[in-house]
Amino acid sequence: MALNLTRRKFLQTASLAAATAAMSGCFARQANASTPFVKKPFTAPGSFADTKTVVGGVCEMCFWRCQLVGKVRDGKLVKLEGNPKSIDNGASICARGNGGVKLLYDPDRLKFPMKNVGKRGAPQWKRISWDEALDECATKLKAVVDKHGPHGIAMFPHGSSATYPMGFFENVVGTPNISEASFFQCRGIRDMAYVATLDTAPDENVDMANAKVIFLLGGHFGENVHVSHVKRYLKGLENGAKLVVVDPRFSASAAKAHTWVKIKPGTDTAFLLAIMNHLVKTGKYNKAYVEANGEGFDKFSKGISLATLDWAAKICDVPAKQIKEVAELLAANAPNVSIHPGRHVSWNGNDFQRERSLACLTGLLGAIGVKGGFVAGKGPKVGKAGGWPKINEEHAEAHALHKMAKKYQFSPPGTPTDMIRDAAVSGKPYAIKGFVAWGQNPIQTVPGEDLTIKMLQQMDFVMVCDIMPTDITMYADILLPESSYLERYDMIKPGTQWDLSGKQEQYIAARMPLVSMTAADHERKDPVWITNELAKRMGLGQHIPVKTQEEKTEKMLAGANLSIEQLVKEDGIHVQPGVDPYGKVLKVKFFSQELAEAGFPAVPTYLPVPEPPKGFARLVYGRAPVHTFNRSQNNVWLVNEMPENPVWLNDESAKKMGLKDGDRIELVNQDGVKSQTSSVLKVTPGIRKDTIYMAHGYGTKNPAMTVGVGKGIDDQSLITKLAVDPETGAHGMRNNFVKFVKNGKVLSIPA
Amino acid sequence: MIIDLEKCVGCHACAIACRAEWEVPTGKDSAERERRRNWVKRLGPSKTPQGLASTYYPGLCNHCDKPACVAVCPADKVEATFTDPKSGATKKMEVAATWKDPFNGTVQIDKERCLGCGACADACPYSARYVNEEEGDPKADKCTFCVERLAQGLEPACVQTCLARARIFGDLNDPNSEVSKYVKKGAVKLESAKVKIGPNVRYYGNKKDMHLLTTTSTPQAMPQANLRRTIMAHMLKPAMDQVKSLGMLGLAGAMLVKGLSEEEKK
Repeated sequence: MALNLTRRKFLQTASLAAATAAMSGCFARQANASTPFVKKPFTAPGSFADTKTVVGGVCEMCFWRCQLVGKVRDGKLVKLEGNPKSIDNGASICARGNGGVKLLYDPDRLKFPMKNVGKRGAPQWKRISWDEALDECATKLKAVVDKHGPHGIAMFPHGSSATYPMGFFENVVGTPNISEASFFQCRGIRDMAYVATLDTAPDENVDMANAKVIFLLGGHFGENVHVSHVKRYLKGLENGAKLVVVDPRFSASAAKAHTWVKIKPGTDTAFLLAIMNHLVKTGKYNKAYVEANGEGFDKFSKGISLATLDWAAKICDVPAKQIKEVAELLAANAPNVSIHPGRHVSWNGNDFQRERSLACLTGLLGAIGVKGGFVAGKGPKVGKAGGWPKINEEHAEAHALHKMAKKYQFSPPGTPTDMIRDAAVSGKPYAIKGFVAWGQNPIQTVPGEDLTIKMLQQMDFVMVCDIMPTDITMYADILLPESSYLERYDMIKPGTQWDLSGKQEQYIAARMPLVSMTAADHERKDPVWITNELAKRMGLGQHIPVKTQEEKTEKMLAGANLSIEQLVKEDGIHVQPGVDPYGKVLKVKFFSQELAEAGFPAVPTYLPVPEPPKGFARLVYGRAPVHTFNRSQNNVWLVNEMPENPVWLNDESAKKMGLKDGDRIELVNQDGVKSQTSSVLKVTPGIRKDTIYMAHGYGTKNPAMTVGVGKGIDDQSLITKLAVDPETGAHGMRNNFVKFVKNGKVLSIPA
Repeated sequence: MIIDLEKCVGCHACAIACRAEWEVPTGKDSAERERRRNWVKRLGPSKTPQGLASTYYPGLCNHCDKPACVAVCPADKVEATFTDPKSGATKKMEVAATWKDPFNGTVQIDKERCLGCGACADACPYSARYVNEEEGDPKADKCTFCVERLAQGLEPACVQTCLARARIFGDLNDPNSEVSKYVKKGAVKLESAKVKIGPNVRYYGNKKDMHLLTTTSTPQAMPQANLRRTIMAHMLKPAMDQVKSLGMLGLAGAMLVKGLSEEEKK
């Protein structure tokens, strides 16, 4: 059911009659008056013509959740636009947001519940009814629970559709074996390091729009796009902020930077320690802030005292002079500096210490609660609903693998991926025999594909719920098709105006369907319905917290004295007066007693990472502006913009290797694992000789993804050597090294 | 239109919004031209005299002062009356199936009279046109500067979606417009000694980015007129007129033009 709002005042574009060009339309018809039988040539009418403007869209082409309107003609979505009422993204959306139309109507989308009558990994699909599918899922999962206990089930969720089923498996079924990719392969390390230092997870809460210096460690905005985030960044630059970009590659941000620090990958912590030590030694840190709010500063300054500029220069392969310049630039502009915490930080297996360093540097500069500093917007309160009762929490807690092994004390919520996988493969300390993937594609997300496949092959039952036939779906016994973010009620998105120094406002948006999910050619269902049906059939129906997605949305909105009806009246976004976010002070644990007691370095410490073997260079990956993770690689519009992920190689190295820009190449890693597909070579002076770079999110192996299959190289397939961050148990994915292969010949990379 | 490369982050939203707005198909047409009205090309990182640079070439039809695409159109000319929306003044012109509007300056196509021969697309030094062969009825297609949206009081689709506000659309004849201010600041056209046809999209950026853009993306020669294609199109026209009256344009027209382009490849 679509919410058809056609208030002309709102957008002035609703339900317009077929529009014609200023003059050419009328003119054309006159000219052809003599040929009445001619079919009108194909001319798109434009998204404003004969469409309704439907409000209530919240994007999920990525996790940023921009607010949308849909232009709908005859029940069909023709275009997505930013909701003009949005105080976050405004009328703008990114390429992926615009591309959502093609996810919705992707002919390759999962349509019906399917049973795999072939093998895991080489599936043969048979269409079955929802009853049959749900009965089988419930029976098989219950059998695992009965035989092995609730902890015999592992769940790998991703995205807002997985929130509700995750609550069911964690709280009601009672398994601790939940591995969220956003934690263990992405930002979990950052969140835990900031909690250990500033007692808060940072999100990306730096006030870049009002900063005098923006400091990015690997951040490559432009290649990595989240609308209001990039708006803040650009506003800062327009206002004259100095941009410092630390990256082995001349990234999109390095191209706009005042200072590009061409750092040796894996050594960032040494760089940060030298900056902090320099500030401490020269007394250029924010003494007032540190004295008032710092904890363990003496131990900290002593602990980092060996990190001289020359020491770091040698490790990082960066001139000591440049490190000093960056330090002095930060000091001169403190406290109005944005030390960006990053987001995807699962790099080298030493990442907690780097993230701790960033948090300490923020504190050292007193860049907290001030313009340009580390500041979180104060969003509105909304109600909670749809939470499953925690009836099996104790069981989950007692069977959490990392707690049983007394490891990874700073693990983010859930259980470290590798512990789940190792337990499943070895059967120790207990068997894990049921697997549920919901919106996550661990084949292209989790390093060590062979191990993941071993884990899947030894399961008694594998259930996958997704929108697209991603690589993990090939391993499902039962495959369930779910509705997309454009077809369902779902989550609430609260927030503030994008520029923290602007007029203080708060907003509440709720994801509501832009188009109806009913159609003859498919039987997709929303996650609340699917989970509830599963719960009932597993004999757990009495714990169901809400009957429908819509009910969940109504309950959450009721907590803010709103309703769906009211929100629709307000064009999909409720805006109310906000609160000044500045002035909040945070304590800074420069020395962490907690870390010391757990046996980890209590003062930020540089832990060297493995060096590339001779002839290899380090494989580093990043974001393409037209893709999110590996989720968008079948989107025909997005693929068309960047069909492959070019592999970056230093120009001098290429010359020595006899390679040219545009050559078709493959890669082979240190374990002899070769890429299963090829890509195009990009020869550039904008990358270090010891680094190879490519965008993540290419090279799906599933032939059911007819647009994306085999396009570009899957970086994850080359990440076979595992690195695990000792504090958090999260993966590091940049300790793998590659050589090139051209026409079957392996080419070493000169040092 | 001005494209400010200081602001542009290369996100490709403009290109996709355009595709959604005008239902532009993906891939290439049968003459191997990219099917798009609007594009973003990533440039660099490359060395420039001012240092290492990396930027973007966001492109679209330049709505040139002396458009190369208009003169080559083989469609029969008809008289058309143009009206200035501001003054109400009118002007009569003999135009083929594509023309430059004397008042708003945009270059437009009459899809009903377009033969789909592709001569205009061949003639454009910026590769801003392609032939849309959807629905079996080939028609030249290109950016209209979204005049249809402008008529509804909306911004062009690419401008509206741009998170960086890097695309600035306005009236170059108004000295107080933002676009005019950019021209005064030194926004440049992608023109060379041999390609001087007065493009109306201008680019603004720092020295190194502009060096990279202009050295990689300025056309250095006018495309060789594809005489054979033009002649064939002329020969084809009477036949097309005939099938048109039989109401079979869609099918036969597509076949004829497809045959033509296949011949071309040989």
